[in-house]
Amino acid sequence: MKGFFSNIWKHRAHVVMALPGFLILFFIMYVPMAGLVMAFKKFDYQLGIFASPWCGLDNFKFLVQSWKTFVNMTKNTVFYYLMFTAVGTVLNVTLAIAIDQMRLKRAAKTMQTLMIIPVFISYAAVQFIVYAFLAKDTGLINNSLGLNVSFYSKAAYWPWILLIVKIWKDTGYGSVLYMSVLAGIDTSLYEAAEIDGANKWQQIKHITIPSLVPMITVMLLLSVGNVMRSDTGLFYQVTRNNGILYSTTQVIDSYVLGQIFKSSNFGFPAATSFFQSVIGLLLMLVANFTVRKIEPENALF
Amino acid sequence: MEKTAVATPIKFNHKHLSPKIIIGQTILTILIIAFTIFCFAPVLLTFISAFTDEMTINQNGFSFWPEKWSMTGMNSVLKYGDKLFSSYAVTIFVTVAGTFLGLLVMSMYAYAISRKGFKLTKFLSIFLLIPMLFNGGQLSGYMIFTRYYGLKNNLLALILPLCVSTMNVIILRTYIVNSIPGELMEAAKIDGAGDYRTFFQITLPLLKPSLAAVGFMMATAYWNDWQNALLYISNDKLKPLQLLLVNIQKNISFLLNNTNVPASVRAAMGGAIPQYSATMATVLVVIGPIMVVYPFFQKYFIKGLTVGSVKG
Repeated sequence: MKGFFSNIWKHRAHVVMALPGFLILFFIMYVPMAGLVMAFKKFDYQLGIFASPWCGLDNFKFLVQSWKTFVNMTKNTVFYYLMFTAVGTVLNVTLAIAIDQMRLKRAAKTMQTLMIIPVFISYAAVQFIVYAFLAKDTGLINNSLGLNVSFYSKAAYWPWILLIVKIWKDTGYGSVLYMSVLAGIDTSLYEAAEIDGANKWQQIKHITIPSLVPMITVMLLLSVGNVMRSDTGLFYQVTRNNGILYSTTQVIDSYVLGQIFKSSNFGFPAATSFFQSVIGLLLMLVANFTVRKIEPENALF
Repeated sequence: MEKTAVATPIKFNHKHLSPKIIIGQTILTILIIAFTIFCFAPVLLTFISAFTDEMTINQNGFSFWPEKWSMTGMNSVLKYGDKLFSSYAVTIFVTVAGTFLGLLVMSMYAYAISRKGFKLTKFLSIFLLIPMLFNGGQLSGYMIFTRYYGLKNNLLALILPLCVSTMNVIILRTYIVNSIPGELMEAAKIDGAGDYRTFFQITLPLLKPSLAAVGFMMATAYWNDWQNALLYISNDKLKPLQLLLVNIQKNISFLLNNTNVPASVRAAMGGAIPQYSATMATVLVVIGPIMVVYPFFQKYFIKGLTVGSVKG
């Protein structure tokens, strides 16, 4: 024990350096974790979260009462997570390899610059751009194709619209991370493969993709904890939080955000939030455990 | 365009090009160009619509090649005057203050947990990692921030939530471990530099590529943050740019959904439903600065954003 304290004293400068980060993490991330007990309280804003009276599982009764809403938004949340992760990973990797393979490096670089731009546009702005394409009377799509579709009143279109918006916004930037891995591959590997008579496809299959696997695993693992969370702006702003579209567009995060502004009964949102956090944690632990069993090198912890 | 480009063989580093490679490269280039157009066209449409005559949009809809151009959209944005000016000031302040504070705090944390022989490393790494696995969510965060910290209408509510992120600390730590030679810091120590001096004079300058990449991503996150603003800021003087956009949208749906809005309210909201070209001009004014700054930071992205193993 004495050794421990003398070690800390020796490294006191490092303790001081870590302290501001520690405090910010504590107050911004950890205290709200404790706030999740709200799910078991009869919340009264005047009393605050911790002084409000306990009410056992009463709030979870709302989950049963509003079962349909709850199931719908949970289903949407998971569905979009799976779709975005699957399509996103495939496209990010494909684009990274494609740009890496291009021999006109200058042109590739310029085009990459243009592709990354959408990631820097906030969803508050994106929704106006999407509107310019989809509006009923003035929208570019209806006008240029001679159609008269009212996109904003038909829920069935939105999984596709949201997927396209997501691809548009994130693919360019998403590929950068994989390109950093590709830049690190030893070129002598390719030269050796070429001498052995491997064609481009074989090189990609046996050298490029295997070297991306660790990064893909890390990215997937990191995202698993967010199964129950969504890119709130996409669902809240781009859909204009339109009630008609809720059956395909309402996710847990956009629901909770909406409820904060209505600020009436926080019981149901609190129970939903609790459910969201706990499921996220469990999935993360299960996923990491599985990866550690198969490929310990790629596990997060 | 791509054909002429492919026909200039000087740029290729291979001496001999088989026709198969030329065909392959041409197809690849066409596909990448197509994707670039897909990504950039909507941005271009925003730009064009901001300078399109309002009547033209009303009659012919949004178009890449409008019949009539006009500056009225831009002019009506400038009419926001003070409001626009103060929103810009708020956004710039939050972005600059948040990014610098975050970079300093995170690089110090990353440096501390990358020291060998420091016995708190393990604890601090786990402490950093847990928020990625488990977090309180928006509702609890909102209650804590407003009820306990009293951050309603306080710019700290915009700065603190985006200030320290696990992912960014990991990126910085990976860069310190992999790209800054440990001998350098040891040598500094032998020469008598204290821990702080070693960090600020040796590590921090060498960390620049990573700081640039992380810093730029943080700056964009701050610039684009509408959600915290919507939750915590209601005072007109403290409203950042993104909230201007959100409010335009709110006014549009309010006026569309309530046909019997009294004339006085309509007048207070600016007369009529905000116009298309003016809205697009506002979008342009909000996203413009990032577009201008971004190319200067792009070179750091690949070098600076390598995520290593999270393990400590």
